[in-house]
Amino acid sequence: MQRLALPGLIAVVFGLGSYYATGEMGPFGIANVALGGGALLLSGIAAARRVHGLAEGAARRILLPRVALCLAVLLGAIAIERLAAHSELHLDWTVDRRFELFPATKSALRTLPSELTATLYHDRADPRARRTRMLLEEFARVGSVRVRVRDLEEAQEDVERFGIRGTNAVVLELRGAYEIVDRPTEGELLEAILRLRGAPTRVLYAAVGEGEGDLESVEASGYSGLASALRTEGYELRGLFTATADQVPEDAGGLLVIGARRTLRPEAAGAVQRYLERGGRLVALIEPGVRSGLEGVIEHFGFAIPDALVIDPAAGPVEGAPAGVNPVVAAYASHPITRGFSNRTLTFFLRARPVEAVHKPEPDDELVSLAFTSPRSWLNFDPAAVHGTSAPRPPPGTVFQRYPLVGAGRYPRPSGEARIVVFGDADFATNQYLRSLYNLDLLMNAIHWALAREDAITLRPKLLTPNQDPLTPQQTLGMLYGVGLLVPELLLIGAAVTWLRRRGA
Amino acid sequence: MKALFALVRKELAVLFGSPMAYLVLALVGLVTALLFFDHLRVYNQILFVYTSNASGGFELGTLPERVNLEDQVFLPLMEQLGVTLIGIVPLVTMRVFAEERARGTEEILMTSLLTPSQIVLGKFAATFCFVTLMLTCSLVYPAAAVLRAGLGLPHLAAVALGLFALSLALAAIGLACSAFSANQIMAAVSAYAVAFVIYDFGWLEPFLGAGAGKLLDAISLQPRFVGFAEGIVSLADLAYFAGIIGTAFAVARLGLDVVRVR
Repeated sequence: MQRLALPGLIAVVFGLGSYYATGEMGPFGIANVALGGGALLLSGIAAARRVHGLAEGAARRILLPRVALCLAVLLGAIAIERLAAHSELHLDWTVDRRFELFPATKSALRTLPSELTATLYHDRADPRARRTRMLLEEFARVGSVRVRVRDLEEAQEDVERFGIRGTNAVVLELRGAYEIVDRPTEGELLEAILRLRGAPTRVLYAAVGEGEGDLESVEASGYSGLASALRTEGYELRGLFTATADQVPEDAGGLLVIGARRTLRPEAAGAVQRYLERGGRLVALIEPGVRSGLEGVIEHFGFAIPDALVIDPAAGPVEGAPAGVNPVVAAYASHPITRGFSNRTLTFFLRARPVEAVHKPEPDDELVSLAFTSPRSWLNFDPAAVHGTSAPRPPPGTVFQRYPLVGAGRYPRPSGEARIVVFGDADFATNQYLRSLYNLDLLMNAIHWALAREDAITLRPKLLTPNQDPLTPQQTLGMLYGVGLLVPELLLIGAAVTWLRRRGA
Repeated sequence: MKALFALVRKELAVLFGSPMAYLVLALVGLVTALLFFDHLRVYNQILFVYTSNASGGFELGTLPERVNLEDQVFLPLMEQLGVTLIGIVPLVTMRVFAEERARGTEEILMTSLLTPSQIVLGKFAATFCFVTLMLTCSLVYPAAAVLRAGLGLPHLAAVALGLFALSLALAAIGLACSAFSANQIMAAVSAYAVAFVIYDFGWLEPFLGAGAGKLLDAISLQPRFVGFAEGIVSLADLAYFAGIIGTAFAVARLGLDVVRVR
């Protein structure tokens, strides 16, 4: 019977091997595991008879403590593993900390009104599904979340019911309502949860009447995407007609001015200044080449926004514009708005003007320049002349340096703390570009900060932009010859030399 | 301690005194190279297809998000590397105890200054040293994929730690199997069987249901290993691998006594 052990083991190895090779336990695998398992059982019975012989007299005295020790070690190992699992201690060593949740996500999960069910639908060959499952499990650690994982093939009914469009999609269900997240990053999931939950609202006034960006327009040049993101994250949007308004309403949580195309009336600009003096909150997106009328207010609060175009030669020709005109920003100052931003989280601007923090109106004020172009940047003071496809050239004597495109300031006053965030561009927030790179995050975080909602700051994509570069044939061949073949060749030569020496000896 | 170090040195000298060590290292290098370049070839082919479809030439915007180095090259390579290690590690461990027994040198070792536990410890230490060296050879390609995919050095460290933990656990299982046998083939095949069985119990889930599947997941090697591949270093996973090594050590120690009593 014991002779069955080896064939039995081989059958089990091949049966399970077929499962690892194909990902399915087919008839071959089942037959091998069943027959192999049977053979091992029979040989095990035979071995047990011998053990019976071993468990007598002196043999028992020697072996029993050893068997007990094995069991004790096993039980100890299980206990330690369970304790470690209970501690939930783990380190996220991914480059973008993709499994470390932002305070905003944690806060939303901890305050769920009832259990949230998160179902991941995937096909077996999709490697992203495991990452998504791990992210959902991280959600479940923080809040009342039930995680389910379903194979798309086996869940056709759900596919039709929810309208699932592809693999690696998550359906979130809360109190009978559901949301589908096709690209389940932390930020997208958070937005879906907030939509399901109905977040508390704050009133945000958006200036209208002087050609400002249209928050209702769904055109590529419109800002409905921003409006939607703001509503999702708990803001009630109202229009402030600057053509007639002489003051900002008392119930304003903040004021948003998006790329005014005409100059604001002095009365309206004065109303904004008075609003800020009494502790108001302003987020202004100012285009180059346009006199918005807010320049005076912004300069009064310590920022210089010269009407110039920042040319950054580090940026290539993007969106049909000449090289350098549309800067891609990869350098950020340390600030709550840029929390989590690094040189890997890029933001993309279209024809931007500098926003420099130059002086503090009061000693206790805090002014920070937030997002910088490359050190090779320069200023073009004739924005209208930059057109066509040829890259602008710096005139002699040009100063090259980093230029900030975003600035933020805090102004503690007896009547309240004013906060201002100024962007030197408005196009980066249009529907066409809002979800490009990390544009949405930078703008939403700025609005959250301005309205003192630091706990809502997050990174929406929270996902490394995947590297889709091909390896060139030279690189591939270099790796193949350099490591793939040379190292094994040297080792085989070593084996041959050893064998010959042994043979000689 | 001196005697213990002498045993470790002797074990390593025996290992590198035979062509087997070099053959195993070369095999690891070749197999991982084959896997890596195969995935890279498929990845480049996918890129080529998209390049052909995008009439204007290669454009990143035309590629689906899932087509990237991490998902197409690195993660599949890690999956297969785990199974590859199951195939290779028992080749190293099969001879450690079984050969001594087959040659009749075990009695000499038992009468040395070393206690049986120290003998097991010395053999474990020597095997772990070799497996670490072997791991260095197999880490070249995951390292290339990780760095090329821009995943960063901490992620690479997590991957290395996961491979290290998995390799040592597999080596410990192989040593425990070797301790019960005088036949190297039997030792290797039983190590394969044990490793294959506990590597992934996912195949049992359709028969036992999701609840049992979750429980079985907790005792499988593969779900523990993939956490490291994804860049997560969990204390529970480290404790799991340490538990396997500790239990295998105790079982190997039992194996010496069982054979002695026989």
